[in-house]
Amino acid sequence: MEILKVENLCKTYGKGETEVQALRNVSFSMEKGEFASVVGESGSGKSTLLNLIGGLDTPTSGKVYLSGEDLFSMKENRRTVFRRQNIGFVFQSFHLISELNVEQNIVFPLLLDYRKPEQDRVEEILEVLGLKDRRNHLPGQLSGGQQQRVAIGRALITRPMLVLADEPTGNLDSRNSQDVMELLLKASRHYQQTVLMITHNVNLTTFSDRVLKVSDGVLKDLGGVKA
Amino acid sequence: MKSYLSLIPIQAKVHRKQSRMTRICIFLAVFLVTVIFGMADMEIQSQRIAAIMDGGNWHVAFRDLTEEDAELIGARVEVRESTWYGMLDTDSPASIEGIRAVICGLEESGLDMFPSLQLVEGAFPSGKDQVIATENLKERLGYEIGDQIILQLSEGEEIELQVTGFAEGTAMTDREDRIGLVFDMDGFRTYFSGREDTDSVYYVQLSPFCNMQKAIDDICGQFHLKEDQALQYGKLMGLTGQSEDSNMQQLYIAAAVLAVLLIVAGVLMISSSLNSSMSQRTEFFGMLRCLGATRKQVIRFVKREALRWCAAAIPAGLLSGSLAILILVRFLKWISPAYFESMPDFGISVIGLVSGCLVGIVTVLLSSRAPARKASRVSPLQAVSGNASAEMPVKKAANTRFFKVETAMGIHHAKASRKNLILMSGSFALSIVLFLAFSTTLDFMHHAIVPMRPYTPDLYIQSADGTCAIPKDLAGQIVEMDGVKRVFGRSFANHLTARIDGQERDICLVSYEEHQFGWAREMLNEGEADEAEAGNGLLAAYQGENTLELGKSVSFGEGKTYPVTGILSDSPFTVEEGTLLLICSETVFEEITGENGYTILDIQLERGTSDEEVSAIRRLSDDSFLFSDQRAGNESARGAYYAMCLCVYGFLAVIMLITVFHIVNSISMSTTARMKQYGAMRAIGMSVRQTIRMIAAEAFVYGALGILAGCILGIPLNNLLFRLLITVNWGEEWSWPVGAMAVILLVVAASVFLSVLEPAQRIRTLSVVNTINAE
Repeated sequence: MEILKVENLCKTYGKGETEVQALRNVSFSMEKGEFASVVGESGSGKSTLLNLIGGLDTPTSGKVYLSGEDLFSMKENRRTVFRRQNIGFVFQSFHLISELNVEQNIVFPLLLDYRKPEQDRVEEILEVLGLKDRRNHLPGQLSGGQQQRVAIGRALITRPMLVLADEPTGNLDSRNSQDVMELLLKASRHYQQTVLMITHNVNLTTFSDRVLKVSDGVLKDLGGVKA
Repeated sequence: MKSYLSLIPIQAKVHRKQSRMTRICIFLAVFLVTVIFGMADMEIQSQRIAAIMDGGNWHVAFRDLTEEDAELIGARVEVRESTWYGMLDTDSPASIEGIRAVICGLEESGLDMFPSLQLVEGAFPSGKDQVIATENLKERLGYEIGDQIILQLSEGEEIELQVTGFAEGTAMTDREDRIGLVFDMDGFRTYFSGREDTDSVYYVQLSPFCNMQKAIDDICGQFHLKEDQALQYGKLMGLTGQSEDSNMQQLYIAAAVLAVLLIVAGVLMISSSLNSSMSQRTEFFGMLRCLGATRKQVIRFVKREALRWCAAAIPAGLLSGSLAILILVRFLKWISPAYFESMPDFGISVIGLVSGCLVGIVTVLLSSRAPARKASRVSPLQAVSGNASAEMPVKKAANTRFFKVETAMGIHHAKASRKNLILMSGSFALSIVLFLAFSTTLDFMHHAIVPMRPYTPDLYIQSADGTCAIPKDLAGQIVEMDGVKRVFGRSFANHLTARIDGQERDICLVSYEEHQFGWAREMLNEGEADEAEAGNGLLAAYQGENTLELGKSVSFGEGKTYPVTGILSDSPFTVEEGTLLLICSETVFEEITGENGYTILDIQLERGTSDEEVSAIRRLSDDSFLFSDQRAGNESARGAYYAMCLCVYGFLAVIMLITVFHIVNSISMSTTARMKQYGAMRAIGMSVRQTIRMIAAEAFVYGALGILAGCILGIPLNNLLFRLLITVNWGEEWSWPVGAMAVILLVVAASVFLSVLEPAQRIRTLSVVNTINAE
C-alpha cells in the first residue's frame, strides 16, 4: 500500500542572482512499513525534502500525498493537525519539551489533540523504549540516548502513517546510535510504520530497505540495500 | 562606513520592527512628561492669572507705612509697581439706596495692579467727590456716567458723589450682593482717613527676576518693619515659585517628587523595553565580540543606537504632547469655563517642551546603561554556539492533568522564574492598590466640595433676617424665566423645642420640597424618605454621637408628633452644638410653625445662562432680600475638583501604563527565550492558536495573581481610608468599590491582551524550519 507519494517537488530560495534551487522535480513514493534512508552531502537538499514531506515548509511547486491526501491543498491549521496525527518527527537535537516529563513528552501529540492517551499503549511504548523507570523524569535528567528514545516514543505514540527522522543519531555515541536505529527498525518491522530517515552515516543505511540519494537538489533512488 | 558605529543606521533599517517597542516607550515617556509638565505649567499660568484677577497683581502689602518710606520703597530696583490702597471695613455701614456698598481708594497708577477694578467704561476719578462704581450700580439702580449718587455711611452721614466710570466687579461683590465704589486716593483720604474702620496699605509688585523673599526681608530690615506689617500674597508668590510658606514648600517638594517618579517610571519603561530588544539580538552582540569588539565598544554601540531612536521619538512625543495639551485645555474649559477661563487657548508650554526633551534624552541615556552592559557581557562562544539565550533549569513538570497542555505550559512558564512572577504580579497589584486608595481620596473630595453636590445653587435669594419672608409664588415666577433650570425653596425654624425620649431638645427644623427629597434619597444611611415627603415623618442628619436613631418619636406639641423615618449621611446645613437638625415636608413645617413662606430660595441655572438673564431674575426679587450669585465660587471649587481629578487620574494612568509596558516587555522576552521550543512544538503539531493560548496563559497568570494580591491589599485599604475620611465625617457606610473593580478588571484584561499581540504575530510568522534548524 502506497503511503507516501512525492510528485515533482521543487523548492527555490531567494530571487534573481541569489536564487537557490534546493530541490528540483523530486518524485518518489514509499510503501507502508518501508524504511528508507536519504543520504547526500551537506547542502544537497535532504533536510529540505524532509521538511516539505513533513509539511513544515511549503514547496515552490509539486505535491506531497500522504495516504492519498494532498498535504499542501490543506490550510495551515488543518495541515498542522494532520501532521500531529499522522506524521512522527525525530530530530537530531531531540527537541523535547523541558517542562514536561518523559511520559508527558511521549503523549504530547495526544495532549495537543486533547485526547486521553490509552494507558496500555503508553506502557507498551515505555517498555519498548526501556524508560519505564524514568517516566516522571524531566528531559534535563536524562542522557542523550534516553532523550532520543523519548523523542522516538513521541513520534510513535499516535501510530503515525509516516515517521520522519532527521539525523536521529547525529548527537549520539555509537552505542546509543545502535539502540536508536534498532528502535526505528522495530517501528518499521513490528509496528509497520513507514520510516524515512536522513543520515550522513553511510553505515546506518544498512538498517534501511532502500536508499535515496539527494545531490544538488536532485533525488536518485539507489535501490534496495544488499545484506 | 567610517567606523563600526556606521552599522547602526544599517541595522535600524533592517530591524525596524524590533526597535518599535523601544521607540514607542521613548515617545510615550516624552509625551507624558510634555503633557504633565505642560499642563502643570498651563495650570500655574492660569492660576496666576486667576490670583491676579481675584486679589490683584502684588506680592507684598505694607501696613502703617509713612508716605516717605513708601516713596523710598517704590523707588527700589526690585519694585516693579506700587500703589496706595485704602479700604473701609466691610462690616461698617455703607449703602446706596439701601444696597450695601464696599468702599476702597486707589491711585490711578495702581489700577493695573487690580484687574478686577479695570474700567470697562468711563474714566478714573479726578477729584475727591468722584468715584468708579461696579457695573451692578447701573444694572440695579440705573445710574450712568456723570450721575450723582448718595453714599450713606453711619447714621446721618452722607456723601454725594459723581460716577465717572464703571468697573466689572469681583466675585466678592457678586457673592455678597454689594456695589463697589473706588475713590482716588486723595478722595479716600479726605473722607475716610483717621477712622478706626479704615485701613491704608501700600501694595508692592516685585520683579519676577529678583529673589522676592530676600527683597521683602531687606525692606523690612531697612525700614524697621515688624513681621505683621508686611503681608505677603502667598498664593501669587507660590505660583511664581517664590513662597517660603510651609504649605507651598510641601507643594514644591510634592511636585519635585512626582517629577522624579515620572523620570524613574520613564527609565524603567524604556529600560525594560531595551532589555527585551537586546535579548532578541544576543547573537549579534556575541558575533561583534567574536569579531573583536571590546565591551566598551558594544556599550557605546547600544547607547548610540538608543540615542538615534530619540531623533524620531522625541519630536513625535513633543508634538503629540503639545496637541494633547491643546485638547485637554479645551476639555477643561468646556467642563469648567469660569475656573479655567485664564488658561491660554493655544498656549505652547516652553517648560513642557524643554522637560520632555530633557527627559527623553536623560531617560534613554540612563535606561540604556544596564542593557548595554548586558549586551557587552554576551559571551562570543555562547552566541556562536547558539546557546546565547540559555533556558532556565526546570525543577518540576507542568500539570497537564487539570488543564489543557498549552494552558498548563503557559502557567508553568509564568511560575518558572519566581522573581519575575513577583515583579509582574507586584506591578499589577501596586497599580490596583494605588487606584483603590486614590479613588477614596476623590470620593472624599466629592463629598467635601459642596459645589459638586446636585443641590448646589447657582443663585440664591435669602430673607435678610432669616425669617420665612420669601413668598412661595416667587419660586413659580422664577422657574418660568429664561435660563432657569430648577428652583427650590427651604424654610428654616431655629431654636424650636421638641420632646424626644421625655427630654426637651433644641431643634433646627428645615422644610424640603420634592427635588430636595429626591436628592436626600441618595444620601440615606438608614430608612427611607417617602414617609417624610408624604408628611408622616422626619429625616434626621448624621451628627456623630448625637445622631437620632431611626424610629425615634419627636413631639412638637399635641397632635404634632412625628417619627424619624430616615437618617441622612449629610446635609448642607450647619447647626450649633447641641442642636438637632430635622427635615420635614413643607406641609409639616407649616403645621408645626405656622409659617408658609421660604427662608431661602435656591436657583439652578441652565448651562450658558447670561448675566442679563441673571439680572432679570434679580429684578424679580425684592430689594430687601439678599441676592447672592454663587456662580464664580462654584466654578472655582468645581474647577479645583476637576484639576485634582486630572492630576490623580493622570498619575494613576502613568502607573498603569508602566505596568502595561512591563507585562508587554516581559511576555515578549519570555517568547524570545522560548522561540526554539515553540518552533519544536509547532513542528510536532502544536497549532498557532494553541501556541498563542500558551503565551496568553502565562500573561493571564500575571494578571490574575496581580488582581488577587491587589484586591487582598487594596480593598481593606480602600475600606480603611473610606472609614477614616468619609464615614467619620458623613456617616456613610463603606460599600464594595464595584465601579473601581470593574475598571481594574478591564485594564488588567486589556494589558494581558496587549501583551500577547506582538508575540502572537511572531508565532504566526514563525518559520518552523528555520527555528528548529538554528543551532
